[in-house]
Amino acid sequence: MTTFLLILHGLCAVALLGGLTHQALAVLWPSRGGAGFTSAYRAVSAARFTNANIAFFVTTFVLGAVLYPPYRIAVRTWIERARLWHISGLFEYKEQALAIGLAMLPFFWLVWQDPKDESMAVARKCATAILCLIVWYAFIAGHIVNNVRGLFGQ
Amino acid sequence: MNVTRVFGLFAAVFAIAYTIAFEWHWELFSYHPRTGEFGWGQQVSRGGPVMHWYGALATGALAALAACAVALPFTRSRKLPLWLGWAVPLACIILWGWLLRGFFQR
Repeated sequence: MTTFLLILHGLCAVALLGGLTHQALAVLWPSRGGAGFTSAYRAVSAARFTNANIAFFVTTFVLGAVLYPPYRIAVRTWIERARLWHISGLFEYKEQALAIGLAMLPFFWLVWQDPKDESMAVARKCATAILCLIVWYAFIAGHIVNNVRGLFGQ
Repeated sequence: MNVTRVFGLFAAVFAIAYTIAFEWHWELFSYHPRTGEFGWGQQVSRGGPVMHWYGALATGALAALAACAVALPFTRSRKLPLWLGWAVPLACIILWGWLLRGFFQR
């Protein structure tokens, strides 16, 4: 069951990463209609990603919270025995950043309610960029921790 | 009553309260994953690891909800600054990097 939930957690994280990166690039670096992949990647209706990104963030977070006790018992104890403090630190920072990111979601939703409201433009860009960075960091840190025995198990 | 007016405040107070709860051990409860038991506040080990994260989340959420409940009536006439919703969480995320530096200096 833990393996199934871990894979589901990873798949939701991939979807979140894709959606949030689309939204962040579309708002921070809007497409001017040029040809090519990067223009096409940014030429999306960013506001339409909001609810899906919130749903994926919450789902991924809840799955991570469910998986945390098995990690704490089986994985972190091994990491500490192996004295891989920097790997433990990567995960610690991940949990703190994600918790703060979770509480930003209502604000994130609010600033995307009217994407044409210029009074919220700075807040919209900043909130989206911060959440995007949190998710990218969490994804990479999660992968390193998930593969810790293969990477550092010698 | 439009609660969306305090969403920025919620993010800001949560980030601060969560950080304080973790650093000063003000978790609402602790969890013992090996036995599946919960206990109020900061708990000591019962023969296995103790998890404080869920309790810190609860402390942060309670503090943020309380602050929003208090602030809500005042926001009818006075708008809260929007930067509360992103600058304070960003500052707390940066602060966490400093608080956890010990993991990377061993």
